[in-house]
Amino acid sequence: MTDIRHAVFQKILDGIEDKTIQVTDNTPLIGDGSVLDSMKLVELCLTLEDFAEEKGFEFDWTSDQAMSRSRSMFRTAGSLASEFTNQMDAEK
Amino acid sequence: MIVVTGSSRGLGLAICERLHSLGVDVFGLSRDVSNATFPSMSCDVSSYEDVKKVVLTLKKEDKKVSGLVNAAGIASMNLAVTTPPTVSQKIIETNLLGTIFCCQLIAPLMMRNKCGSIMNFSTIAVSLGLKGESVYAASKAGVEGFTRSFAREMADFNINVNCIAPGPIDTSLLKGITTNQINKIVSQQIIPKQFSPDAICDLVELLLDARSNSLSGQVLHVGGA
Repeated sequence: MTDIRHAVFQKILDGIEDKTIQVTDNTPLIGDGSVLDSMKLVELCLTLEDFAEEKGFEFDWTSDQAMSRSRSMFRTAGSLASEFTNQMDAEK
Repeated sequence: MIVVTGSSRGLGLAICERLHSLGVDVFGLSRDVSNATFPSMSCDVSSYEDVKKVVLTLKKEDKKVSGLVNAAGIASMNLAVTTPPTVSQKIIETNLLGTIFCCQLIAPLMMRNKCGSIMNFSTIAVSLGLKGESVYAASKAGVEGFTRSFAREMADFNINVNCIAPGPIDTSLLKGITTNQINKIVSQQIIPKQFSPDAICDLVELLLDARSNSLSGQVLHVGGA
């Protein structure tokens, strides 16, 4: 797992109260079985925005482009981490 | 900092001038900011990209946003059947989508701090169903619906979202409406008198004050309706 992917997973984990849960690629972030409520999900987005700023790029979690590229990047922890990495690579 | 849209004229300008005179850090948004006497930035609120640029600027300058006043709006008094499609589109884009875009993009700046107050603008035309204002009223009814739902979404972040719905206030938006028409609308208010922009500024001050933090998701009718 790349450092970035690991960092994104860690930030997801930070928002989960039940610390026995393990975050994997398939951990759902929205819908059935989601480990985060809507408030925690938005907080995660704000945290990722700050993280992206540290890495020198803008993390876009609202535009059509960002959403349609992966048919909701929030589907799973894996899809969110992939979208974050893709946006970072695209800005380089 | 309080962000105010529609800051070059009408209620937006009056609100900016009031807050600025009180020493409040104001940031005005308008398509034309050439005559602004307070910090401002050019922005067409119906353009998502324009609003996004504003947010990037505020973030770069590390501004702490604690309020948003969505006063930008346009009107066109006309029967629906004689309103050109481009006019209808422009009204919906500016009044409804402009409000939604600003809320969507500027609210996250407040969510970080878990506090804030957002004020959207509706009109007495919604509650009275005024003849000749159907497209305008439709755009503002949308704003009221958005406000009520958005208020619930923002409650977890300690952000209050309310809607101010004035009767006919003496601004450029009333251009083209006769005194008789204005009097007729005013007579239907609970308090049958025409209020000035000062009444709106008072209400904005009230909603920015922490003492109003029990109010959210409300439509406040200036003059009563």
